[in-house]
Amino acid sequence: MFQSRIPIFVVTGFLDSGKTTFMNDLLNRSDWSEISILVAQFESGEVDFHSKNSNCENIVFPKKMLETQQEEIVNRLRERLASHEFDEIWIEWNGVAPLSSLYDIILHRDLRKICRISRVMHVADAERIESSVSGSGGVLLEQIGNCDFAVIRNSPRLGEDARLEANRLLRTINPGIRIYDAQSYEDVYRGLFKKKRSRLAVFSLQAALVILLYLAAKPFLEAAGAPINKVVNVFLGVTLQAVPFLLIGVHLSSAIEIFVDRAAVERIFPKTIGAGMAAAILAGFCLPVCDCASIPIFRSLLRKGTPMSAAVTFLMSAPVINPVVIFSTYYAFGGNVRIVAGRVLLGIISASVAGLFFAVRGGGQPILKGGAFERISCPCGCWEGSRPDSFWGKLGLFFRHAQAEFFSAGKYLIAGVFISALLQAAGAGVFSFAQGGAGLAASMAVMMSGAFVLSLCSSSDAVVARSFINQFPPGAVMAFLVFGPMMDIKNVMMLSYGFTRGFIIKLSAVAFVVSFSVVFAFSSVIGW
Amino acid sequence: MIIRGRSFDSQVFIEMLCCLIFSGLVIYLVTSGRYLNYVTPRMKPYLYFTSAVMLIWTCAGFSRLFIPRNKTRSAHCFALAFPILLLLLPHSSLSTSELSYNFARGSIWGSPLAQVSGGVPSIGSNAPDMTGDEDIEWSEEDFYDEIPSDAGEDDPAFDISIYDDESFEDMDSTLSYDQAYDYEDDAEVVLSGLDTAAKKITVSDGQFYQWLEKLFFDPDPYEGYTIRMTGFVFKDPGFLAPDEFVPARLVMSCCVADLLPFGMICRSKDVARLQADSWVTVEGVIRITEENGYREPQAWVTEIVPAEEIEGYLYPF
Repeated sequence: MFQSRIPIFVVTGFLDSGKTTFMNDLLNRSDWSEISILVAQFESGEVDFHSKNSNCENIVFPKKMLETQQEEIVNRLRERLASHEFDEIWIEWNGVAPLSSLYDIILHRDLRKICRISRVMHVADAERIESSVSGSGGVLLEQIGNCDFAVIRNSPRLGEDARLEANRLLRTINPGIRIYDAQSYEDVYRGLFKKKRSRLAVFSLQAALVILLYLAAKPFLEAAGAPINKVVNVFLGVTLQAVPFLLIGVHLSSAIEIFVDRAAVERIFPKTIGAGMAAAILAGFCLPVCDCASIPIFRSLLRKGTPMSAAVTFLMSAPVINPVVIFSTYYAFGGNVRIVAGRVLLGIISASVAGLFFAVRGGGQPILKGGAFERISCPCGCWEGSRPDSFWGKLGLFFRHAQAEFFSAGKYLIAGVFISALLQAAGAGVFSFAQGGAGLAASMAVMMSGAFVLSLCSSSDAVVARSFINQFPPGAVMAFLVFGPMMDIKNVMMLSYGFTRGFIIKLSAVAFVVSFSVVFAFSSVIGW
Repeated sequence: MIIRGRSFDSQVFIEMLCCLIFSGLVIYLVTSGRYLNYVTPRMKPYLYFTSAVMLIWTCAGFSRLFIPRNKTRSAHCFALAFPILLLLLPHSSLSTSELSYNFARGSIWGSPLAQVSGGVPSIGSNAPDMTGDEDIEWSEEDFYDEIPSDAGEDDPAFDISIYDDESFEDMDSTLSYDQAYDYEDDAEVVLSGLDTAAKKITVSDGQFYQWLEKLFFDPDPYEGYTIRMTGFVFKDPGFLAPDEFVPARLVMSCCVADLLPFGMICRSKDVARLQADSWVTVEGVIRITEENGYREPQAWVTEIVPAEEIEGYLYPF
């Protein structure tokens, strides 16, 4: 009985995104003509569902019933399922109702034994998806974030750019999601019927693969002279050193995200360039946020009309000069005050110069990419609007947000630490060209590229920088410490959800040139 | 009526599992002392903090474990799973031979960057130029005339290049005392082993760092003293003259990534016969030398005997 539960295919999408049209097109194809289908609609749009082959039964639940009479929906569904032997259930879900409500219904004790949700797909209109996302609150984000694959309509009419734009938006909300064109039925079939593997099984398999690879490859690599043991030790050493700081960082960031009113932060910025930049630096110093957290604040500052110069100064300085970063740098460099002072000072100078640049040359091109992603403020899925007001609810969200941020930043951190461990184990051989003889400029360029690629969280990058001190001159390590928090791969990716490509390229170039020049000049003068 | 559907969320379960195992592993590392293979003792409170947070996250996960979710992910869990697996998979703590290092002498505490050398421009006026060995002015003959060596070439019983287990029996019994972690919780260490009457310093293994730091900071009172210390043989043509070696210990100032050999330069004509990375107990007379305006104590060796390896690293702070 349990195995033969009727599969449910759920079609989600915003109002008028073309869910019914999609189902009409798909379910009236000859492939479905022999299959008995129950179509349950939780929304009545402009188009009605109609079956040509009379193999589909239709049942409609109005939105009001969904809100107040869930038991009644369960009863009606159960009755309908008892009256006839269906092969499949297709649900057209309401565009403004959270998917969790559907789960509440399907997982009801009366229904869970006879049917199960097999696939959730999201139908999006390429033309309107951006405005839908910005207009619908967290519900659409929840729907997109929870779907197995997405179906894009109207893209041929709009051309390649609109399609790519829609794809990018969907993948911002649901990373790695498969996106098919509504007309490519073969693709849609694959999305519908490809075997879905258990998450636990996938994870166990991956973990087992890591173990096997390690055990199998280690003897061979060691025989070939590869310092595997050193890589492992260095990796674990830096990781154990960095993780506590990342934990401190994500909790502070989470506290601000959950408990501090964003409007209050925005209020403290004066509108004149000089005072605004000074306030930006002060705020950067006071707000213990790392680069991951400063980007959403940067965006909302700009949206509230904060001058470009102040916003850029904040974005560039906050991750370098805040107390958590100062403390972790002090700690990582064994109490070396010169490194700490150098990092703060050069960070402030670089941020100010970048801010001034944008004060002079900031205009003339679009910066923000429309309001579509305003609410995507968080990788943990705790969309704005779905946030609890009670203290305990907020406390729960505080931990959840911190944990989500830890895992998403942790991925980059672990990868960065591992690359760093490989480089260190490979030793001076790989990087000998960057040492003394090649000059400070080359070493700095290498270290800054490294900082860009490693994408470390600024609250723990000092530990990694410290581990490079034996291979690189201090000036190059300083360039790593100053430039890394300002711009790296992770930041570019985060920026691209809300800013135009032109602006991101300009910002990255300014950050690189300014921090390089400032650190180079400083290092040359004091002999680093 | 509001109803709540419940189903098992495998993503939350995997997250909880990773947090729980990581929490337990960190506690195990701290309580067993094994964390000292990776980081310094001062990380202890931070590791307890990490373990506590992971435990809280594990508990907090229960509130979401049965909330239905269609799309689950697990790749992010490798942020914890990968370190967990590597911690559990077989690996040994770093041995001296695995390191390609620069050499630290003097105090790491005072100026961490002063240890940077070997092609990297040194910073600060107090940083010695480690690479120049052509300036050393001392006469080998004078040295050996003055201080008779009882471990010389003529002694057939002493062959430093070959150490077998039997030779360990000759070890000074006091050296087997492993004090590697003695000072872990002790800020004010009273240095032992000073015999002013006999002008002799016996450096215990647990006070290796503290004694040498003291000698490097203020060497003058101890000139002419005999010093006895145990370390592994560190020879590096980049830093050291052919008749110099360092009975060194590995110092960890931050984590295992920055292990550096640390010790006092010893001068002996038997250096060529010393096997690099082998452990020795060295006795010598402290002489203050001056190189490029930088004064440091060195030991002019009178005796070298094989010693047993000392487990663990030194932690300056």
